[in-house]
Amino acid sequence: MNSLIKLELTRALRNRRFLFFSVIYPSVIFLLVSNQSGNVGGSGLSVAKYVMVSMASFGALTAVLMGNSERIAKEREGGWVRQLRLTTLPGRGYVLAKTAGAAVISLPSIVVVFLVAAAVKDVRLDAWQWLALTGAIWAGSLVFAALGVAIGYLASGDAVRPITMIVYFGLSILGGLWMPSSTFPGWLQDIAKWLPTHAYAALGRAIEQSQAPHAQDIAVLVAFFFLFAGGAAWLYRKDTLKA
Amino acid sequence: MTTTAKAATGTPVVGFDQVSKTYGTVRAVDGLTLALHPGETVALLGPNGAGKSTTLDLLLGLKNADSGSVKVFGTSPREAIVAGRVGAMLQSGGLMDEVTVAELVRLGCDLHPRPYKPADVLARAGISQIADRKVNKLSGGQAQRVRFALATAGDSDLIVLDEPTTGMDVSARQAFWATMREQADQGRTVLFATHYLEEADAIADRVLVLHRGRLLADGTAAEIKAKAGARRVSFDLEGPIDEAPLRDLPFLTSLDVSGQTVRLQSADADATVHALYGLGLYPRNLEVAGLGLEQAFVAITAAEEAKQS
Repeated sequence: MNSLIKLELTRALRNRRFLFFSVIYPSVIFLLVSNQSGNVGGSGLSVAKYVMVSMASFGALTAVLMGNSERIAKEREGGWVRQLRLTTLPGRGYVLAKTAGAAVISLPSIVVVFLVAAAVKDVRLDAWQWLALTGAIWAGSLVFAALGVAIGYLASGDAVRPITMIVYFGLSILGGLWMPSSTFPGWLQDIAKWLPTHAYAALGRAIEQSQAPHAQDIAVLVAFFFLFAGGAAWLYRKDTLKA
Repeated sequence: MTTTAKAATGTPVVGFDQVSKTYGTVRAVDGLTLALHPGETVALLGPNGAGKSTTLDLLLGLKNADSGSVKVFGTSPREAIVAGRVGAMLQSGGLMDEVTVAELVRLGCDLHPRPYKPADVLARAGISQIADRKVNKLSGGQAQRVRFALATAGDSDLIVLDEPTTGMDVSARQAFWATMREQADQGRTVLFATHYLEEADAIADRVLVLHRGRLLADGTAAEIKAKAGARRVSFDLEGPIDEAPLRDLPFLTSLDVSGQTVRLQSADADATVHALYGLGLYPRNLEVAGLGLEQAFVAITAAEEAKQS
């Protein structure tokens, strides 16, 4: 299985467009959006700190969601998944390799945003906070990696890209990764706080505020993880019987 | 190592026992029973929709049978694959995009418990020159050879090929079968499905004819030709032709009259022609020729359909 992970990685690192959107693009948005001074309402965090966590989360989301859903759908249709079933690779090996491949790309997409924030916008945090932030955002991205796999097994052909896009932009915008959800009307805020992306960014902000993460955010993330991973496993099994 | 394993076990390489598989109302495979033995080169022959691909899918564990049992080397198909005993090349088998041929073949070798060296696998499949090319930039025939390389990345005892020469030109096809014969000569069992009937005739020791999910014929190519009516007879007659007495000719398997020309197939051409003279007819331009496997195949299939309707 390691050789498949290695090959998935080689391929991901060769794909410049994917690397740009998952590693460079979030930092570019960070620089464009973090120009305002002052604090983001209610959070007590500077705009730069607030947006840094948003964009690190957004970058990780891009890395784990965008590549895999489309690849899996295509490779199911193209028969590569069938071909792999004729090898000694265990059934879950394919999905694990895809997830591992995405995780390796999501790490630099998080770290690059932090480096840009620290170097250009003078964001300063304690060492433990940097480490905890990296760890929390990286680990949290697994929720969305599971979602990417589920979409890859759910959608096919021409449908996978629009579905991924809707889910991706919907979760990013409504979850408050692009603009603080505190700027939303009240009814939308009520919806937003139950979204996994909202909980995901809230995790990082709690660390910046030197607070323990809110129990509700953790619960939301865990619930969505089981929902997405369970859905992915169910769809995977269905696909295996069909193939 | 492969030979000792084969000598030690009397179990067939592949054993289907009363296997059925239904999709909706279509019985793709219908009570199929067959056994493949070590070292055989077997062709699986049948028209589209005969159940060839489903049979191979069942054999490889990609699909589960509704009833009956499928054993490969006495175990489940998946166990046989995990043990590295089966190498397979499917028509529907895709390749990983955006990696090079060499990278993909190396992966195939890494995933086999008894791998060959990637360079040797590339050379044997005739793709060393395109090793650095991206997989998604290959022609259909080149992609087929990459699939073949993946099927032969390690020391497997059974090689399964689904219409392997699709997309290859004539010279590539000949080169492919030469490579395949080497595999067979090393004592491997080879099973291939094909539309190219002359391939089955030229390459296989044994031909399985599949029709509507059932085994219609099982024998050497020569036996199948004999079964369908061994000879094709054609001649011209003068004057108006009365078909009724012709239809009663002995050993006749098919009859076609167009204009003054009569074409028929016979299981015993000598007896048929003798009876023809016995009718008082005087056939001109008499020709007797052997049937190719293709005609034999059409005849068997047509006879089966006539029996059913």
